[in-house]
Amino acid sequence: MLPAISVNHLTKFYRRFKALEDVSLAVEPGEFFGFLGPNGAGKTTTINVVTGLANYQSGEVRVFGHDVTREYRLTRAAIGLVPQEFNFDPFLSVEQILVFEAGYFGIPSREAKMRAGELLEFFSLASKRTEGYKKLSGGMKRRLLIARALMHRPKILILDEPTAGVDLELRYLLWDFLKKLNREGTTILLTTHYIEEAERLCGRIGVIHQGKIVAVDSTAALIRKMGGDRMEFYLKNDVTKVFAGVSSVPFTVESSGRKISFKAGEGAIPAVLKILQGHGVEVEQIDVRRPTLEDAFLKLIGKKGDGGA
Amino acid sequence: MKSWIGFRSLVWREIVRFLSVFSQTIFPPVVSSFLYIFIFGFSLGGHIEQVQGVSYLSFLIPGLIMMYAIDGSYANTSGSLFISRWANNIEELLVTPLSYVEMVFAMLIGGLTRCLVTTAGVYLVSLIFVRFPVAHPFEVLYFLVFVSLTFSSIGLIVALFAEEFEHLSIITTFVITPLVFFGGVFHSISMVPDALKWLTSFNPMFYMVNGLRHGMLGISDVPVFPCMGLVFLMCFAVFLTTVYLFRIGFKLRK
Repeated sequence: MLPAISVNHLTKFYRRFKALEDVSLAVEPGEFFGFLGPNGAGKTTTINVVTGLANYQSGEVRVFGHDVTREYRLTRAAIGLVPQEFNFDPFLSVEQILVFEAGYFGIPSREAKMRAGELLEFFSLASKRTEGYKKLSGGMKRRLLIARALMHRPKILILDEPTAGVDLELRYLLWDFLKKLNREGTTILLTTHYIEEAERLCGRIGVIHQGKIVAVDSTAALIRKMGGDRMEFYLKNDVTKVFAGVSSVPFTVESSGRKISFKAGEGAIPAVLKILQGHGVEVEQIDVRRPTLEDAFLKLIGKKGDGGA
Repeated sequence: MKSWIGFRSLVWREIVRFLSVFSQTIFPPVVSSFLYIFIFGFSLGGHIEQVQGVSYLSFLIPGLIMMYAIDGSYANTSGSLFISRWANNIEELLVTPLSYVEMVFAMLIGGLTRCLVTTAGVYLVSLIFVRFPVAHPFEVLYFLVFVSLTFSSIGLIVALFAEEFEHLSIITTFVITPLVFFGGVFHSISMVPDALKWLTSFNPMFYMVNGLRHGMLGISDVPVFPCMGLVFLMCFAVFLTTVYLFRIGFKLRK
């Protein structure tokens, strides 16, 4: 089956600045794909190329096998974009924004009005249908962006940081909604820098850093690569001197010598306990830190995370 | 069918836009044309002898209509596209499956509609002061449509190049208005010195004003067919330029 989105060796410059360098990735139909990266890494630029909002210098980008430059009408018809910034038509009402956008995608007016009514109801915007978008709150605008992208029932929904600046309640609501949409068959590409969001929603993740793809793998595999659990022992006494000469276990001593953390596995826990017992040090509390996607992410982009080995 | 719906939606959006701000788009030309006709045509014009066999008041009307046709068309597309770039809602359009030709043409039809509404208003105002049978209705329509499409295209081109709102009005103040005025809205070329006559022959607005005047009154400083040819060629050239700029995404795509 043809990938929903395939990006091959994409390179893009903004004047002399290389924003994307040899980016390749594929999103399969029906997938929930997360695109992760720090600010300015190239997530939005990649999306802009796929949706037709940015030119590029070399490479090939296809949507269901169609080239986004040569067959732009076919590729654009398949995609619904939820951009990061609000970009509504200032001359139109909330309902008109939806109906006109559907019209541009070839949806007849009567059908568009019906769909707009349903989506406005679903996103609790029905009472604002005749208002201009400027009268909406931030959360309402965010919901309107999503409703607009869904008006033509796209096969692929691309969301660029949809929950940035959104309160918790709406964030959970959106997560549930996106999961449902994906279950019903919509391919979703989501960019975020909320790691938790990617971890909860995405089956596979691509990590981009400074315009280059640094990893593409399943969410579980990325976390697994981080290795086993990490132990944190909180102690009654300062153990800085106790562990001064120990080299059998790689460890970190923190909090004025009252906390020691190390990777579990290969006899590390008994070895540490033995040392502590030998010096009569009491353990106050033990925490187990499961590696998270955040750890994997920080490791991939070269920043040392708490759980990073 | 889908494509037609998309095209029609964008045309309708352009019309909704200028109607939603009708106090800025439709009223001003109607009010100012009333003033022009009253002061220049009705009051002062009474002291001017006939021009090319018609009263000065009648001579003035086609020029004024052409002036507002040009102004309305240019203002509509330049304002609409620049605001869309500025508010970023141009992205709403760029992610849709509309072709670049459809996008451009729909915006031009928006400009043409505003032009026809405005010029109809100006014509109705003129009927208060003077009435005459229209000599060649087809020519009137031809010049209004092609001149409007030309300046609607120019409006789109300027809106793409412009970085600030002021840039749009700079073109109006320093290019369009002087060329329209020197193009013979208020005078016949026979009234000006030879040097200016020669310069005027390079002014495209001169052929547009005279073309419409021939259509409405049957009089003109130049033969009408070259005027028709020039207007058509200009329209075609600027239309292709606009579509090309949209195709390469000039200041539209990042």
